[in-house]
Amino acid sequence: MLVFIIRRLMQSALVLFAVSVVVFVGIYAIGNPADILLPDDATEQERDHAIANLGLDKPLPVQYGIFLGNAVQGDLGSSFVFNIPSIDLILSRMPATLELAFCALVVALVLGIPLGLLAGLRPGSLLDRTIVTGSILGFSLPNFWQGLMLIMIFSVTLGWVPSSGRGETGSIFGLETSLATWDGIHHLLLPAINLSLFKLSLLIRLTRAGVRETMPLDFITFARAKGLSETRIVGVHVLKTILVPIITVLGMELGSVIAFATVTETIFAWPGMGKLIIDSINHLDRPVVVAYLMVVTLMFILINLVVDVLYSILDPRVRLQGIA
Amino acid sequence: MFSRHRVRPLALAAGFGVLVSVVTPALAADLTMGFSSEQQSIDPLFSRTGPNQTAAAHIFDRLMERDEKGIFQPSLAESWKNVDPTTWEVKLRQNVKFHDGSPFTAEDVVFSIERAPKVPNSPASFESYVRSIKAMQVVDPYTLRFTSTTPDPTFMQNVGGVFIISKKVAENATSADFNSGKVAIGTGPYKFVSWTPGDRMQLLRNDAYWGPKPEWEKVTIRYISNDPARVAALLSGAVDVINEVPPTDIPTLKKDKRVNVINAASIRLIYIVLNQRDDAPGIAGLDGKPLPKNPYQDARVRQAISLMIDRAGIVDKVLFGQGVPTNNQVPEGILGYNPDLKPKYDVAAAKKLLADAGYPKGFSMTISGSNDRFLLDGDLVQGIGQLLARGGLKVAKVEALPYSVFSKAAGENGYGAWIFSNGNSAGEAGRGLESMLHTYDKDRKLGSLNRHSYSNQVFDKAIDAALDEFDDAKRWKLQADAAAIAINDGGMIPLYHQAVTWATRKGFSYAGRRDEATLAMSTKTAK
Repeated sequence: MLVFIIRRLMQSALVLFAVSVVVFVGIYAIGNPADILLPDDATEQERDHAIANLGLDKPLPVQYGIFLGNAVQGDLGSSFVFNIPSIDLILSRMPATLELAFCALVVALVLGIPLGLLAGLRPGSLLDRTIVTGSILGFSLPNFWQGLMLIMIFSVTLGWVPSSGRGETGSIFGLETSLATWDGIHHLLLPAINLSLFKLSLLIRLTRAGVRETMPLDFITFARAKGLSETRIVGVHVLKTILVPIITVLGMELGSVIAFATVTETIFAWPGMGKLIIDSINHLDRPVVVAYLMVVTLMFILINLVVDVLYSILDPRVRLQGIA
Repeated sequence: MFSRHRVRPLALAAGFGVLVSVVTPALAADLTMGFSSEQQSIDPLFSRTGPNQTAAAHIFDRLMERDEKGIFQPSLAESWKNVDPTTWEVKLRQNVKFHDGSPFTAEDVVFSIERAPKVPNSPASFESYVRSIKAMQVVDPYTLRFTSTTPDPTFMQNVGGVFIISKKVAENATSADFNSGKVAIGTGPYKFVSWTPGDRMQLLRNDAYWGPKPEWEKVTIRYISNDPARVAALLSGAVDVINEVPPTDIPTLKKDKRVNVINAASIRLIYIVLNQRDDAPGIAGLDGKPLPKNPYQDARVRQAISLMIDRAGIVDKVLFGQGVPTNNQVPEGILGYNPDLKPKYDVAAAKKLLADAGYPKGFSMTISGSNDRFLLDGDLVQGIGQLLARGGLKVAKVEALPYSVFSKAAGENGYGAWIFSNGNSAGEAGRGLESMLHTYDKDRKLGSLNRHSYSNQVFDKAIDAALDEFDDAKRWKLQADAAAIAINDGGMIPLYHQAVTWATRKGFSYAGRRDEATLAMSTKTAK
């Protein structure tokens, strides 16, 4: 297993390098950040000044070389827009996003798996049809529209929860989080639900399909013959079998929820990384975009690694050497 | 039994009463605002773009301050006189204190002005504001003597725009020290409390402020860039004031009893320019073949295009009324405004001019613009495209691009005809006219925004003279005349001055500002 993990990490260095090149060239091709950072009435002299200040007057390969040299020493450059190290900027936004992503995931798990089990155990029943139809809505209605509707209903009309922003934060075990204060939880509710709806639907469908596939299998029949209770059959044997695909999808989804909660964060003005990346792209803030995508790539690599390790724990047939 | 039943609701009501009475005074003294865009730094000299100046204006003062109409008024500078064309003597306001209690003196002004062009990594420094200063001399703690490199009638407006920071605390400070609040110490109406990027900034009233005391004790500025979310925040009562109300929501909000909508015509000009280069792209004959000569070089073609544009229609239909049609560089009331330049819409006259110029059936052209820079710019390009087609041109392509892509190509001969916006920060028409329309001259730093290579010797002479005149009335006349020369020649085609819109909850009022700034100081309890 150790060899597997080391090999995986070495591959990731290559991926990171490729990502940085693509982003660098891509943003260079789009335009010049100086044009966006300058006011409309900036003079040519000011423009030249800004370009030189940002180090954009050098040819692209030289700029990339400088970036690479610094990156190897752990310096990914400072944001053009905010003039603070891009990694600091990303890390400062990370707690907000992580708490949002985990809350969304918890909501999805706590509701999704039981609902999927219920539906899968009674296929064709009214309950099953209701749950499946509900999940279709969760799937197919665009995320931003769901968000706006949540705001319209629960903030504007009913006035139950705030429409946007992050509330007061407190600290739990030294972590700065909204979950520590009532105000924070209040603010977190809508965005977390908005972000969870898609995963929730996905989980319902995955669980339901898994249950329907597993129930007719021989080992369930044997378990029944052996006299195991239905609760134990479903709760232990079925659940363990269907968990492998769920964990795969969940791993990927967790990554994308953390990295690209852009829509939800924008609509709810949530000061997280998703909002940062979209703002940075609009400002052509290259150091932040590059650093961000590198962090995200690293995160995906790590999540996949964890998922692979989890497989081997859940399913004794899986050997890690085989996957690599 | 009976009494217990009656007591409960009463107790509840009393409880609510206490709650309300506790909450209401706090609400009355506090203000929460929802902004569409955020500053890049608390360092007031880091960048001179709109959102940065708006944030800084709460905490810091300048020598001169723009009023709501966009006219410069004395602020930390109490008075000044022009000793000779290149010498200015400025008297500073006395008994002004920084937030840390230290007194404001001429040394702070000198320090701030010296720091202005030197802020590290600044993408848009205040260098252009202080460029014409040759020397500064502290006569006494409240008197300063400036020498300018050339005679410059607008010297005070420029230098007056620099935010004044404290020499005592900010010497050797970095922008990061401002962000953390360590040196974010000004003389302004509000003290800096905290800034959480992407989320909010908190301010506290400066009770020792020398000027009119703002109404709100605590101010929270929240950054909600998404349009519907900003409106929802207002409707749900999470914020009291928002800026940049999405135009599509204005008609509904105006009918809503819970909110007030405030409108002001800004100084921001939206205009069309026509590329004068011989190799201007995006132009062809009706058969698609290149034309022997760039038609935009013919003044009649330019005038015809100006006549094709139904400015009132555009403002009404495309912008939901959010603009003031114009044929000037600045709106009425600003120095250099020419009342004789009125928008004209006459398709028949346009067709005749085109025919006179040798294009009776028009020619094929492309119109380009941005789609994320100013209010409804993407829709505007399409509307203009339709008007040009109706006016007798063959509009081959209408392109609306993200500003990051568009601005680069616009500066590199990428388009034939395009739409741009210009927010005038000088307080008069002259400097804007010069940078947009003067023949490009790199050495003399003239025509720096003249991306379409317009050149007219008569106009150049007129604007040069207008910029050097010290007498305000005469300068107004000269600038208005210069504007007429260039605009009647089609050097640029002004479309409209964009309206700026704010919305407040009932019970609040906002004094709309021409400079587009959203300030806690301009927000009051509605009477």
